[in-house]
Amino acid sequence: MGKKFLKFEFLLLFAVFVIATCGLVYELVAGTLASYLLGDSVKQFSFIIGVYLFSMGIGSFFSKFFHKNLLNTFVEIEILVGLIGGLSSVILFLLFESVAYFQFILYLLVFITGFLVGLEIPLLMNILKDKVEFRDLVSNVFTFDYIGALLASILFPLILVPKLGIMGTSLFFGMINISIAIALCFLLKRELKNNYFLKVKAIFSFAILLGVFVFSDTILAYSEGKLYGENIIYTNSTPYQRIVLTHNKSDYRLYLNNNLQFSSADEYRYHEALVHPAMSIAKNVKHVLVLGGGDGLAVREILKYKDVEKITLVDLDQGMTKLFKTNKVLTDFNKGSLNNQKVTVINTDAYIWAKSCKEKFDVAIIDFPDPSNYSLGKLYSLNFYQTIKTILQPDAAVVIQTTSPYFAPKSFWCINKTVMQVFPQVDAYHAYVPSFGEWGYTIAINGFGTTFNQVNRKAPGLRFYNYQFDRFNYFTNDMISNEIEINRLDNQILVRYFDEEWGKLQ
Amino acid sequence: MKNGENYSKSRRSFVKGIGASLLLIPFLQFCSDKIIQLLLRLSGTNHLLGHRLWVKDFPKPTSQIHIPYLIVGGGISGLSAARQFHKKGISDFLVLELEGHLGGNSSNGENQYSKFPLGAHYLPLPNFKDKELLQFLEEEKIILGYDQKGFPVFDELQLSFAPDERLFYKNNWQDGVVPKEGNSKNEDLEFQRFFKLMDTFREGKGNDGKYLFDIPLHLSSEDIATRNLDKITMKEWFETNNFTREPLFNYIDYCCKDDFGLGIHYVSAWAGIHYFAGRKQDASSDKKESVLTWPEGNARLASHLKKYTDQKTLKNHLVYEVEVENNKVVAKAFDDVKKVSVEIIADKVIMATPQFVNQYLIKDRKEFTKEFHYTPWLLATLTVTDLADNFSFPLSWDNVIYDAKGLGYVYDQHQSLNQIQARKVITYYYSFSSSDLKKSRKELYKKNKEYWKQFVFDDLKIAHPDIEDCTGQMEVFLLGHGMVSPAPDFIFGEAKKQASKNIEHKIFFAHTDLSGISIFEEAFHHGINVVNQILDETTLDS
Repeated sequence: MGKKFLKFEFLLLFAVFVIATCGLVYELVAGTLASYLLGDSVKQFSFIIGVYLFSMGIGSFFSKFFHKNLLNTFVEIEILVGLIGGLSSVILFLLFESVAYFQFILYLLVFITGFLVGLEIPLLMNILKDKVEFRDLVSNVFTFDYIGALLASILFPLILVPKLGIMGTSLFFGMINISIAIALCFLLKRELKNNYFLKVKAIFSFAILLGVFVFSDTILAYSEGKLYGENIIYTNSTPYQRIVLTHNKSDYRLYLNNNLQFSSADEYRYHEALVHPAMSIAKNVKHVLVLGGGDGLAVREILKYKDVEKITLVDLDQGMTKLFKTNKVLTDFNKGSLNNQKVTVINTDAYIWAKSCKEKFDVAIIDFPDPSNYSLGKLYSLNFYQTIKTILQPDAAVVIQTTSPYFAPKSFWCINKTVMQVFPQVDAYHAYVPSFGEWGYTIAINGFGTTFNQVNRKAPGLRFYNYQFDRFNYFTNDMISNEIEINRLDNQILVRYFDEEWGKLQ
Repeated sequence: MKNGENYSKSRRSFVKGIGASLLLIPFLQFCSDKIIQLLLRLSGTNHLLGHRLWVKDFPKPTSQIHIPYLIVGGGISGLSAARQFHKKGISDFLVLELEGHLGGNSSNGENQYSKFPLGAHYLPLPNFKDKELLQFLEEEKIILGYDQKGFPVFDELQLSFAPDERLFYKNNWQDGVVPKEGNSKNEDLEFQRFFKLMDTFREGKGNDGKYLFDIPLHLSSEDIATRNLDKITMKEWFETNNFTREPLFNYIDYCCKDDFGLGIHYVSAWAGIHYFAGRKQDASSDKKESVLTWPEGNARLASHLKKYTDQKTLKNHLVYEVEVENNKVVAKAFDDVKKVSVEIIADKVIMATPQFVNQYLIKDRKEFTKEFHYTPWLLATLTVTDLADNFSFPLSWDNVIYDAKGLGYVYDQHQSLNQIQARKVITYYYSFSSSDLKKSRKELYKKNKEYWKQFVFDDLKIAHPDIEDCTGQMEVFLLGHGMVSPAPDFIFGEAKKQASKNIEHKIFFAHTDLSGISIFEEAFHHGINVVNQILDETTLDS
């Protein structure tokens, strides 16, 4: 009997240990999710820990109202904690974009988990109180409780989140929680009443968690779709970026690393404004260079000019250009421009390519990602523009997408001023693109043989640009910034301006 | 392109946070999932050949070379002397070098991903009045011209790119290497007081009209009070000037080790202050503290100088004896490739070799050579798949870890124009700062490569916990006599004077250890000055 009892006590203490570990994991999952989704991690973690501990207190308080079938209640609670805690992150992920009272649900889940965990420890002490000396009981229960807590808090950031992800972690611990319940059902079958029913409940709950665990990737993808607020119709991760295409009513949107690249509803504004001023101003347009712009939309605009003989497009990401050559939805957007015979696609680093390029171009369209980090910042440096100048014909036109003069006037004028150091004629203009806001470009001419107001050729059928350049280069006061430094590789001041200006908006 | 998100939707910004966190997860796994065979190599200066000078078991010379001028040592001092000969229209000189390559401390290695320095790796912007150095930089197109105000315009590609420095301090990377974020108010005040004092020293001039601290060092003022700073250690100077705060000590300790190999407990206060006050930061209107750097470090500068030694160099030649005989200098050298010795008979010899070597080649030098101390260095070049950290400040050129054993690491591909690197190559630096450098040198060679590998990993783990899992290759490079180290009473001491004296106007000495600090500028000027001295004397003779 003594031996058997030891086993009984040991089992329950082990259960305490697991409950403590799982409980803390749920708490950490909630805290992490809250800080991911809502920001302000100090506040989120502080509130979550507070609410969790408080609800444990409430749970403990209510534990005194349980008198009968304590062991059964204990196992039932174990199952319930596993189910709710395990599913909590899934529920939170799924509800984030669609529910206005997201925070309420978050704290409700934290409260329920805390409440149930709070119930368990006193219950257990009540179960064991007649069988073990009180002094030992308190000491053992709390020892295992706190060891469990330590284990959870160490495992969570170091192993669990990196290996399993947030959703996986909570589901995994939900399953551990329920397996304890199942184990108790089998090992303590004599002590438990209605054992069969309990077993069924436990195994059923376990199956639910397992099912969700197996499909967690799908759920994650679905919830990602929810986060974009649109239906995701295509995703692809290349070595350089994650490409996501979404669809909502008649609007398709392309995101690169979660930054909007274009919206099919208004991209014609962006691309017409990018391409046509330079194409109409340049002395010749036989050989056109496009840097970046792997979506082929700028090339589509360039191909509207019959004089164009050759287009060279340099984009780092082969995955991107390949996608825009082959995907049916996407080739509808760019009119198959990248498959046009006049077009040569080169997948390499534009800076390195330009340094060794032997050809000379009549027009250069530079459409790089915004200078949001020091790598990209190099592509807006003085030395880069000096390099570009060496591969341009006299009187060639060059245009550069220059971020938003409204959101980031310092960044905008910094690029403009840097280009001014290199080219004899430089101007700036902007266009309104609803999905981006007010967007801007820097344009330059490599000589004095033409001017910005000269229209040397026109393409038919434009929807936005009307070849009246002087209608686009007027800037209101809120889009102007003075006292700007030029951007060099050794100061990368642009990245700092950009971070300061866009950082404010996030 | 285009962070063109619609900011009228406030939720949109959260998406970014989630995006970032989702992105992070595969990265973390990327590192630990991949089991990479760690390739470990141990190499260093050719100390085995060098140590044969102790026993001198070389074969008798079997051939003779007659040459007017001989330069022994192909480091920067020797190469700079070659350049100066060339400038003076002299081409009949010969350079002998122990190693299989020229450059000395300004050498480099290369792997499939990047070049990397094996020693000196940057040149601070020169002082404006150092016209000879400016001239050299202009010749080599490092200075592209001069602006309207007369300031040199440096080549953008050769100035260290931004961000150039970061410090891992209080569990975060921060901009710059001076500890800033997280200091107490008093710590900040102490930094301010220190830097103000350094500004005074930098601008200060003695009664002789010379700068208190200058580069090259021999141009500094003879002012007694200032020179007395050479009699105490940097730490003692802190105590007499009531500096008490740990972050300041730690930062200055890093600086002193970085330039001299010795930390504040062992380095002369004059040298420590010279680090801040010697460079006048006046070569540019806005870039006060920038540096020039290259993926291969100062090996780039060495390669510019090398062109003056084409067809005039014997590599793998260990000079083992130099003496004056019948109005000529006879130098004997061992050819380590052909395993034969050769005798070179010259009118004048420039010993561009360190004094710890010279004592074995030339008579009666052991006594004062004892006063010359050389700090051993360990360099480790790591090829890593990723350098994950807490993203508090982006990877920079120089990455220093507060309170680490070493001096942090340099990101060797920082000057690359590429957007993305398949592997990152970094070089870790460690100087054996101690009171007993001989003991440290023994330790350096005694411990095996596994020991040093773990040593490097443990030091880097402070900032990059998973570095070990991400490292594919490590090449450890040992420098037994890394650089001369200015302990107190050395820079203005008797030994240095003795060692600098020429022998019968036939054997001349040029090396940074005769300055007491091992920097490019000193070597560069030693080379020029020694040639000028030889030619001036020759003119007077005739």
